[in-house]
Amino acid sequence: MKLIVNGKEVSLDSKLTVSELLVNQHVKMPEMVSVELNGRILRRSEFGTTALGDGDAVEFLYFMGGGRGTDGTTN
Amino acid sequence: MRPETAAIHAGFVSADRSGASAVPIHQTVSYAYPTAEEIAAVFEGRAPGYIYTRIANPTTSALEATLTDLEGGIGSIATASGMAAIASVAMGLVRAGDEIIASAGIFGGTVSFFENVLGRFGVRTRLVDAGDTDTFGRAVNERSRLIFIETIGNPRMDVPDIRAIAEIAHRANIPLVVDSTVTTPVLIRPGEFGADLVVHSTSKFINGHGTAIGGAIIDTGNYDWSRGPFPDIEQLSKSLGRLAFLSHLRNLICRDLGGCPAPMNSFLMLQGLETLSLRMAKHCANAESLTRFLSDHSEVSRVSFPGLPDSPWFERARRQFGGRAGALLTFSLGSKERAFRFIAALRLAKNLANLGDAKTLVIHPSSTIYHEFGPAEQQQMGIEADMIRVSVGIEDFDDIQKDFQQAIEQSSRI
Repeated sequence: MKLIVNGKEVSLDSKLTVSELLVNQHVKMPEMVSVELNGRILRRSEFGTTALGDGDAVEFLYFMGGGRGTDGTTN
Repeated sequence: MRPETAAIHAGFVSADRSGASAVPIHQTVSYAYPTAEEIAAVFEGRAPGYIYTRIANPTTSALEATLTDLEGGIGSIATASGMAAIASVAMGLVRAGDEIIASAGIFGGTVSFFENVLGRFGVRTRLVDAGDTDTFGRAVNERSRLIFIETIGNPRMDVPDIRAIAEIAHRANIPLVVDSTVTTPVLIRPGEFGADLVVHSTSKFINGHGTAIGGAIIDTGNYDWSRGPFPDIEQLSKSLGRLAFLSHLRNLICRDLGGCPAPMNSFLMLQGLETLSLRMAKHCANAESLTRFLSDHSEVSRVSFPGLPDSPWFERARRQFGGRAGALLTFSLGSKERAFRFIAALRLAKNLANLGDAKTLVIHPSSTIYHEFGPAEQQQMGIEADMIRVSVGIEDFDDIQKDFQQAIEQSSRI
């Protein structure tokens, strides 16, 4: 399955929920991240129940201070 | 998670590994990084992280996460006070020459900020009658940048039609800002009625005990910041989508105005949230009982409470607030002099400028909160010279009733 994560193509071996993707992508400070899926900001309560599908576009967004960055992944 | 559960658990996402069962109070000004590269990455927004408590703080983040969940929003920013929340939202949206449309019956401090502070910077505020929804539409022009209402006007006790006013705002392509301080997320999620931004004075029912000043801004996710008359926010929306306005606040407006909450106060708000639904049920029940007592009392000339069946706001309040009407009411004993004697005779209820405390509170608005407004302005804002405002507490109702009964009796003696 292929996703677009923060504008870059990412290949996954299996289907993941948003919560699982946060772990898979080593997202920093996951308690602070906002997740936009195909243009819609998800409620935090949806992270564990939202399964990602082939071609989905996911953005990890932060508005916690400093700059106006979007990329909290380490890879 | 149901709201009662979310109020207790939603914010507890701290990375703290001590096993602490309460959200830790991060009583720190700043945050250290091992390398210059790492702190630079956070400053530049290439990596998430805390920098300085004026911008963000882990205890405050837990409060923000809880409020976001309770309001069903996409994100929140906690502030030093309710006025700091309102000031930040307004200053984030307007420039010199712009206009604000606000209902006339809102908190005097908000009117003063709009007219006396923003007025100094060339921003005009048009006050309209919240009871006449069409007046909002008539006040809109190409300079309008936001509509501001309260869920229940304090102390006018009027209840605007949030959904209809949201439609007017959206037809004008501007956001609707709703102050839900007196209703809290327990009675209404304004976002479900179309509101774009929700503000709270968390010092009131959310804190619940009169122990800390605070405020909050929640973006409901309803407004598309890429299409509004706000070029700088539109620019941010290209990378941050609907989080653009919160980023604009966090990284410019709130950061530079400096109205951040103290971590200890954020902790006290989190503690208040845990019991908010229980307290609101008791506040509202006591307010209904007190309203019935006052309405039936021969010495009381007027009672204003949206939960009264003969209130012009009764049906709308029922529809918007799930059958409850809050815990704020006003009443009159016929004259300012009797109001003063009544307040002096109270033994249990306290005479002070606050609301939403566990204790029953009273105040004479005309001579206190609104003393700087002239008679004509007070009339426009719904302030009568004989009006007493009550914030009904969560004491046993019989004790509240006895206190009001004896104080009304004493107020009739000269």
